[in-house]
Amino acid sequence: VGQPEMAAYLTHQQKVLRLYKKSLRHLESWCIYRDKYRYFACLLRERFDKNKDVKDMVKATELLRAGEEEFWANQHPQPYIFPDSPGGTSYERYECYKIPEWCLDFWHPSEKAMYPDYFAKREQWKKLQRESWEKEVKQLEEETPADGPRTEALPPARKEGHLPPLWWQYVTRPREIPM
Amino acid sequence: METTLLLNTSMLLTLMIILTPILLPLLSKSFKNSPALITKTVKTAFLTSLAPMTIFMHSNAESIISHWEWKFIMNFKIPISLKMDQYSMMFFPIALFVTWSILQFATWYMASEPYVTKFFSYLLMFLIAMLTLTIANNMFLLFIGWEGVGIMSFLLIGWWQGRAEANTAALQAVLYNRIGDIGLILSMAWLASTTNTWEIQQTFSTTQTPTLPLLGLILAATGKSAQFGLHPWLPAAMEGPTPVSALLHSSTMVVAGIFLLIRTHPMLTNNQTALTTCLCLGALSTLFAATCALTQNDIKKIIAFSTSSQLGLMMVTIGLNLPQLAFLHISTHAFFKAMLFLCSGSIIHNLNGEQDIRKMGGLQKMLPTTTSCLTIGNLALMGTPFLAGFYSKDLIIENLNISYLNTWALTLTLLATSFTATYTLRMTLMVQTGFTRMTALTPVNENNKTITNPITRLALGSITAGLLITSYIPPTKTPPMTMPTLTKTAAIIVTILGILLALELSNTTHTLTQPKQNTIMNFSSTLGYFNPLTHRLSSTNLLYSGQKLASHLIDLSWYKKMGPEGLADLQTMASKTSTTLHTGLIKTYLSSFALSILIIILST
Repeated sequence: VGQPEMAAYLTHQQKVLRLYKKSLRHLESWCIYRDKYRYFACLLRERFDKNKDVKDMVKATELLRAGEEEFWANQHPQPYIFPDSPGGTSYERYECYKIPEWCLDFWHPSEKAMYPDYFAKREQWKKLQRESWEKEVKQLEEETPADGPRTEALPPARKEGHLPPLWWQYVTRPREIPM
Repeated sequence: METTLLLNTSMLLTLMIILTPILLPLLSKSFKNSPALITKTVKTAFLTSLAPMTIFMHSNAESIISHWEWKFIMNFKIPISLKMDQYSMMFFPIALFVTWSILQFATWYMASEPYVTKFFSYLLMFLIAMLTLTIANNMFLLFIGWEGVGIMSFLLIGWWQGRAEANTAALQAVLYNRIGDIGLILSMAWLASTTNTWEIQQTFSTTQTPTLPLLGLILAATGKSAQFGLHPWLPAAMEGPTPVSALLHSSTMVVAGIFLLIRTHPMLTNNQTALTTCLCLGALSTLFAATCALTQNDIKKIIAFSTSSQLGLMMVTIGLNLPQLAFLHISTHAFFKAMLFLCSGSIIHNLNGEQDIRKMGGLQKMLPTTTSCLTIGNLALMGTPFLAGFYSKDLIIENLNISYLNTWALTLTLLATSFTATYTLRMTLMVQTGFTRMTALTPVNENNKTITNPITRLALGSITAGLLITSYIPPTKTPPMTMPTLTKTAAIIVTILGILLALELSNTTHTLTQPKQNTIMNFSSTLGYFNPLTHRLSSTNLLYSGQKLASHLIDLSWYKKMGPEGLADLQTMASKTSTTLHTGLIKTYLSSFALSILIIILST
């Protein structure tokens, strides 16, 4: 389907890779200058690569646990977080300007007259959304397994003339940075 | 005679010019407010306020205006009285100059905001409240200004209200300021009940003021000026946009607490306890903030902690009984601190929102004007000889050295001065020098006049303000004239030691040793463990004791044990004791009967 399946449990490979990435990020927070970071990153990579081919799951899990404890002891108290990531300085900054699209229906006609080409077509789009809603819900109900969805990814449209499920939410999503 | 009239008129004209963009939209439908208009208004107000300042410098004229009186009690007068004295007449041009530069910068910085006019109106309302606070001769008017700046601080910190951290920070600011307000209201109540007035002139007397109202004033200053104990709101306030940080949380609002102590200074003069409290509190604040700034990686937090540290230094000056010197430090500090914030704002916006100094570097070649002014501001902050900061900071440390007061406070302040140099140099090295560490393809340019003009104007102010103010305003107390060479150069020596420490630390960052956590670094990174300790402990204890009070004291004790259940327990105990006597054996009854007959016969 293009998107990997998400289960409730992480595989061992996923856990090791997550440990590797977060230890690299914290190493980057510690070693500010790039040449020093590259040196220690290579040392870290070598440590991970040494135990790459361990086939015994018990031993591998013990190594992973030791690695997690070492990470906890050596983590940086103020790790570098990208500004738009959760916890960053401009995360959710423009959330207050993101209003849902149904507010456009409450505009005064004089305000709507400022964007005539959009509002001329808007009724047709809304009609299209109303017609395809039943089909989208039916497709999602058919495709979801009995005990709940496995992944957050939405399936594409399967039949000719159908639209992808929940396309309206995607198409009318607010801008990332407001005008 | 005409001098006073000119003075009063020009000050009132300044205030009216500031009020215009707020009042005119209410009065006329066709008036359209805009950021450019508000900037021009503040510029006009600045130029107008130069008139009273010049009059004061020339002829030392001061005046008090008393307007309309709020008559609600016969004996207690609350007029709107404005005092034009040295402090308000010097503060007006400085605050207006700094605000004009910040507003001009904000027209570029906040250009992409949807509600930019509302933002500028908020800044203007803040300015009005601050100027009211400054010019007030009356504790009531001061309180109006005090609360006004608190509210505007809340609205401006939480400007991007979709962000959870911004809302938390705004609430934190309001709560900590409220705790300080308890002290202010306490001292206002004491003044009203004891001296029957709220006019500041009438509260001064040669006899000693009792310590309690003075502690109230010091609590108010602790809350508003982020001294140790009520300080966490100031670094958290960096959630607001950079113009807000530059205006409120560096130059104007946070000095309101110190300004209160300067205004009510004659009350504090005779009370040595209050002065010692100020001294020790200020010394502790300045060292604590300087320690916390050493390991911060967010450029705005570093500057916030440096503001906190300088506020502690101002409190130390109050504790040394030198209000005029504290005011001089407020004035010079406003220039270079606002400039530091504007430079950091320029850097942040150019790097597309990046605030971490670990991802900056080599900006000296890319943003020459900004980084030069950043260097000038940092040198002024460190107290480099003959820049603005030198005139106030060096004098403070000299006076501290000469005075026969607390050695401990002296040690802390000197240590904080060296730490100032350390974190300043660390910031400079990581932001401006070396190879760049920012993400590639960031379009960096400062070709805009709206960026460079305010910053260079403030740079000019940072260089010349100290000299100008000290040349034209004579000190009221004699400064120390002679002292040993070591004492005189103590500030410079500790600054140089701090610079050497910073260079040494930067050398270790370059060597190939894997860095680890250690205790001091952890203490500094987590801001002294203060935030989790107080925020969690105090609220859990309060809620827990409230729960215990409600469930154990009221429900269990009063309603059950003292009431029905207690009585029932006593009754059952009494009846149980008496039922043991009813054994049912005839012999017991006969023997008790015989015993009572015997007693009756023997007693008669």
